[in-house]
Amino acid sequence: MLDSSTNAAAGTLVSASRRRRRARDRALHGVVPFLLILPVVAVIGVILGYPLYWLVKLSTERYGLFELIQHKGVWVGLDNYRSVLGDAVFWRTLLRTVVFTIANVALTMVLGTLIALLLVRVSSWVRLVLSSGLVLVWAMPVVVAVQVWYWMTNFQNGVVNYVLTELHIGDFFQHDWYATTFSQLSLTTMLIVWGALPFVVITLYAGLAQVPGDLIEAAEVDGARSWRIFFDITLPILKPILLILTSLSIIWDFGVFTQPYLLIGQSKITTGNYLMSIYLFEEGYFKSDFGRGAAISILMLLIVAALSVVYVRKMVRMGEASA
Amino acid sequence: MSAPRRARRARQAGWDAVGLLVFAVMVFPVFWMISTALKPDDQIISETPTWLPLQPTLKHFRDAIERPFFWEDVKNSLIVVLATVAISIVLAFLAAIALARYGFSGRKLFIVLVIGIQMLPQAGLIIPLYVVLGRYHQVNALSGLIITYLTFVLPFCVWTLRGFLLGIPKELEEAAMVDGSTRLGVFVKILLPLMGPGLVATSVFAFITTWNEYIFARVLLNDQSKQTVTVWLSYFLGTSKHTDWGALMAASTLTAVPVIIFFLLVQRRVVFGLTAGAVRG
Amino acid sequence: MKRRSTVALSLVVVLAAALTAATSGATQRAAANNITVWLQVDAQSGWPDLVASVNKQFQSAHPGATVNVQYQNWGDHLQKFDATIAGNSVPDVIEMGNTEMTKYMAAGAFAPLDKSTFDNSANWLKGLAASGKFGGKTYGVPYYAGSRVVTYRTDLFKKAGIKKLPASTAEYVADAKKLAATSSKKGFSPVYIAGTDWYVAMGFVFDYGGGIATEVSGKWKGLLDSPKSIAGLTAYKNFFDATSKASKTTDESHPNPYDVYAQGGAASMIGQSWFTCCVGAKYKASTAQFVMPGHVKGQALPGFLGGSDLAVPASSQNKALAAEWIKDFTSTASEKTLQAKGNIPNATNLLGSSVNERAAARSWFVPTAKHWVDVENGNILRNMLAQILNGKLSVKQAAASASDNIARVLNQD
Repeated sequence: MLDSSTNAAAGTLVSASRRRRRARDRALHGVVPFLLILPVVAVIGVILGYPLYWLVKLSTERYGLFELIQHKGVWVGLDNYRSVLGDAVFWRTLLRTVVFTIANVALTMVLGTLIALLLVRVSSWVRLVLSSGLVLVWAMPVVVAVQVWYWMTNFQNGVVNYVLTELHIGDFFQHDWYATTFSQLSLTTMLIVWGALPFVVITLYAGLAQVPGDLIEAAEVDGARSWRIFFDITLPILKPILLILTSLSIIWDFGVFTQPYLLIGQSKITTGNYLMSIYLFEEGYFKSDFGRGAAISILMLLIVAALSVVYVRKMVRMGEASA
Repeated sequence: MSAPRRARRARQAGWDAVGLLVFAVMVFPVFWMISTALKPDDQIISETPTWLPLQPTLKHFRDAIERPFFWEDVKNSLIVVLATVAISIVLAFLAAIALARYGFSGRKLFIVLVIGIQMLPQAGLIIPLYVVLGRYHQVNALSGLIITYLTFVLPFCVWTLRGFLLGIPKELEEAAMVDGSTRLGVFVKILLPLMGPGLVATSVFAFITTWNEYIFARVLLNDQSKQTVTVWLSYFLGTSKHTDWGALMAASTLTAVPVIIFFLLVQRRVVFGLTAGAVRG
Repeated sequence: MKRRSTVALSLVVVLAAALTAATSGATQRAAANNITVWLQVDAQSGWPDLVASVNKQFQSAHPGATVNVQYQNWGDHLQKFDATIAGNSVPDVIEMGNTEMTKYMAAGAFAPLDKSTFDNSANWLKGLAASGKFGGKTYGVPYYAGSRVVTYRTDLFKKAGIKKLPASTAEYVADAKKLAATSSKKGFSPVYIAGTDWYVAMGFVFDYGGGIATEVSGKWKGLLDSPKSIAGLTAYKNFFDATSKASKTTDESHPNPYDVYAQGGAASMIGQSWFTCCVGAKYKASTAQFVMPGHVKGQALPGFLGGSDLAVPASSQNKALAAEWIKDFTSTASEKTLQAKGNIPNATNLLGSSVNERAAARSWFVPTAKHWVDVENGNILRNMLAQILNGKLSVKQAAASASDNIARVLNQD
């Protein structure tokens, strides 16, 4: 029989346990995020801790092949940095790489968005075919992709020259697409954008799949035009993904190595068509000047951080609102 | 058929045609790779391009498979990649939840760490990584390679999954909690399904990146019986004599097969259609 | 909240630091009698049986010893070698390209070897032996070599009415005129040489008694601007203009000469002897080789002697065993097997009469300088050749500028 005193007693008991639960929740709430990030931090810390320390230490030493064999470098302070920052080739290469990165990222993001929107529009069988085709492109080993591109564009028997000549667009018989720096880097850009599109398209498509269908339908019923729908509904939801993809593209395209090095070819690489990663390779690792290589690596890290800071900061702030 | 329906059908067919055109343009180099794998040697270097292998030969595929350690290396690649993908998705998802849903001090530091690692040129890390792994006896061991790959794949996965999480409004979870669901229940019933597409995209990326990774596999694995398929592939190009292009193209085609299978298996989780993933109310 | 988080974070940091620091130089101890051998993948595809039989012989002569052969790629084997040096787990034997040796010898990467313990060491090919010597000590044992020869279409030579193979470059130029008429193909080359193929071009320089660089009391001096070298470069330009329709600015792998040949675009080409592998089914039967003649009748054009040496890294734990393995692998019997596979054996007393080997009788090699690879990588010679062939600079100007560049690069510390 629940009379008022029993009720009151029961009420106190219940509220006490609820208070305990809330206190425990708050305590857990504090520890939980750390537990969640602990595995990631542990893996990165254990594996990259020493290499990062080594990289920074080496950038302040003269460390060549001889020192590698002796396991001991010679402290030179900031000399490595001074030599790199005082090298005119470094600055020219930096400018060239920044322009190159902007071109690559812009093309990748614009084309990627367009194709992702296309994926939404087409029938499901075409969607499967196109997305599978993109994954095939993505899966091609880079070295093989470069070789196929070279076959397609080489002056001797490339299909590009053949097709352009046959279509009477001009006489491209044995036209050398790798004769000037501009065309070398343009072809490299095409290759890189082609290889980067699958990831961008599929990730954007996954992001588009999060856009609520009801909202779109409601807007369409209300008579909204498709570009209005895109800008007012779709784009805001895609914003985090777009920011991520842009920041990642900047990072990757700034430091891309394999495609330009193999496509242009070692015998055509000169200080006049260096990109930053090739500069790092040639001035650092190829000459076995590990100290200089470490300094260039750290400078590249700082430069890329500066280039992508706008996007990264937007991403970070985005998370803060919901935390 | 009514006029508006006919118009819609025509528009749909138009989009489909554009889609197929984009497919054709993007896939052309892949087509060239496969067709070269099927062409006899003379047609590979012919002056006028041979578009279709009208006299296809399986010789290159046979030559490729017969090269030493093909099957072992495929097995090793699968082990390394599946382990990396599985572990990284789980760990990264947990970390992404922490970043997207919790405020805690050191949060900014963690984000800087995550994005900063991806900005580091990897070339400089090869030698010190080899030294570190050597000390733990992880050189020439698949586990050493897995943990190396985890280090590089985790930051990217955390960063990307966080982005997808931010696209899911917190109100959804709060509404469910008000309804009496536990935190775990929210996770399983609300978050996980909506993250489906994001998890798929991220895992495909992790799969392909680790499947095609070369230099760390090359440096860290010594015995051919332990190497991955990308190292096996490199032997085609590592000789000082001529390269057997037909066999290399055949080999590359073969190495793309597991990736495609993986994608076809997981892509069904990506909701193909804007009508799903609906937010109620 | 803040204290707890600081504690948690610092715990993680300490953990990571402890784990990395706890490893105090626990280097991998090599098993007492196990040697690791790095050979390039050429051996795996070319002569795997030889490797197996040498290992068997070695293991029976040293009971309890095991040999672990690991195959490497030319493109990245040095990167891997550097990592093993840093990690104290170097191989016991490593195959090095002869142009790769000097840089590593100068840095002290290898252990000195007793030359007399190896077969035929008194007769080692000069070009290879030089690449393995530094500061008066031997660090590399010549393994095998390859030279450059002319691969030609016997049917086209017959069609052109050439009865005797050319014995001098002048005769070859005259023959080239006849060969040009045998094909109506656009861009057909009687002799295909890529414009910047410095391996061929320098042969002309050495044929006239010139050189690339020489060391004079510790400093390198460029030789390309000497009168003899200039005569050689001029001869190359004239020969190229008369016989090759290849691109003047591209190298010898873009495109591969044998691909051009297989498409019917050349009557002959200068390159390695293994080019016959890839001339295409159509011309396989009508392909043969001869030694490239120099400007003096009856004398061969000096050919670039490419090859490999075997060395023992300085921090190897089994240097004696490693040296013995190398001895077995470069024994007379072993070299004869390599010879049978189409390679040039490492000693003059073993040389046979194949075209490849006859061409090796007169050879040249790059300066054995620590920084030679930087000259190659900087494309100094290629750029010089492109400028000469394009007519952008006169031979004298291009050679002078290249010579200065080479001396500057070689003399850097």
